[in-house]
Amino acid sequence: MIYFPQLSSGATGQFPISRERLARTVVNQSLQNYQVKLADPGAAVTEWHLSFEEMSDQELAALEALFQAVEGSLTPFTFLDPADNLLAWSEQQSQPVWQADSLLVLTGGVADPLGGTNAYQVSNPTAATLMLQQSINAPASLAYCLSLYACSAQISRVWLVRGTETDAYAIGPQWTRLVSAGQLANAAESISFGIALDPGATMNVYGFQAEAQTAASLYKPTADTGGVYPNARFKGDTLTITTVGPSRHSCELDIVNVEYL
Amino acid sequence: MLQFNTDTIRFLDGTEQRFRDNPSVLHQWTIQLDLLDESELAALDQFVVTNQGRFGNFSFTDPWDGTVYPNCSLAADTFGFQLSGEMRGKATVTVCENRT
Repeated sequence: MIYFPQLSSGATGQFPISRERLARTVVNQSLQNYQVKLADPGAAVTEWHLSFEEMSDQELAALEALFQAVEGSLTPFTFLDPADNLLAWSEQQSQPVWQADSLLVLTGGVADPLGGTNAYQVSNPTAATLMLQQSINAPASLAYCLSLYACSAQISRVWLVRGTETDAYAIGPQWTRLVSAGQLANAAESISFGIALDPGATMNVYGFQAEAQTAASLYKPTADTGGVYPNARFKGDTLTITTVGPSRHSCELDIVNVEYL
Repeated sequence: MLQFNTDTIRFLDGTEQRFRDNPSVLHQWTIQLDLLDESELAALDQFVVTNQGRFGNFSFTDPWDGTVYPNCSLAADTFGFQLSGEMRGKATVTVCENRT
C-alpha cells in the first residue's frame, strides 16, 4: 500500500490546512426561478492544500519518496485526512461498517455528553469478552489516536482496541473522554478501532474518533464516509521544495481525491 | 440579499413595460464564520455532504429576524474551510431560498 507519510511528530499535516469539497448538481432553471435539480454524487471531488515548514531531512525524504513512487499525479495513494475523523458513522454503531460480536446488545437514542441523543448503550450479557469495532484500510504502522466518550452506571472497565493494542480504562457515572494513542510495529494494511466489554458489562458510549496523529482533537461526527481516501493523488506533477538550512525544508502541495477516477 | 426578477420591454419611443417574472422576492444569506472549532467545522462539512452541495433542501431560520424559510438550499456545490490552528477555522456558506 502506498500512503502519505506522517511527520516525525506523528502528524499528517501542519497548520494551516485547507480543504474544499466540490459536488456536482445539474440544474434546470426556469425563467421564474423554479429549479429541477439532479445530484451527481460520483463527480464529487475533495481537495486539500497542505503547507509544511521546518521539515527534517527524513521527513522530506519520505515525502519525496512518495512523490516519486506515485509519479506525481499519475497514480493514487492512501491519504488520511488530518482534519477529519477516520471512522465512518461515528454516531451510528448499528451501521454495517461497525463489526459487533453477535451477542453484543446495542441500544441507540441514549443521551450523549454534547446534549443530543446520539449515544449508544452497549451491553455484554455473555460470559466472554465481546467487541465492537470498525476496520479502516490504512497502514497499521502509522501513529493513531482513538478517542471516545464512555460512562457506566456502576464503576466499570472498558478496553479501547487500537489494532493489536488494547488499553483498559475505568469509567463511572460521569461521561469521560478516553484516549488511546500510539504507534504499532505492524505491517498490516488495515487497522481496527473499537471497544471490548468484559462479561456482564453495560455502558454508554459516544463519539468514536480515530485520527492519524498522536493526540485527540475535538470530536468530529461523520456519516457514511470517514477521513480515509484510498484514491488520493497529487494534484500536480511538480513538487517544489525550499531549503533554508540543514534539515530545514518547506513545501506546499495540493492533494485531490476524485471519486470517479 | 433580496432578489426580485423583473422583465423589462423597452419600446422604440423609450417607454417601457415591466412585469415580474417571480411571484415573490427570494432571499439569500452569505454567512461568514470565523474562529470555528473542529467540531463545528465537521458539523458544517457533514451538512454540505448530506445535502450534496446545492442539491438538497432544508429549512433556514433567518438570523436577523427569526423567520423560518422552509425551502432553502446551499447556493454552491463548493464548500471549503481553512484551519489556521486549533479552534481557528474559517468558512463561508451561502444559503438561498428556492422558489416553491
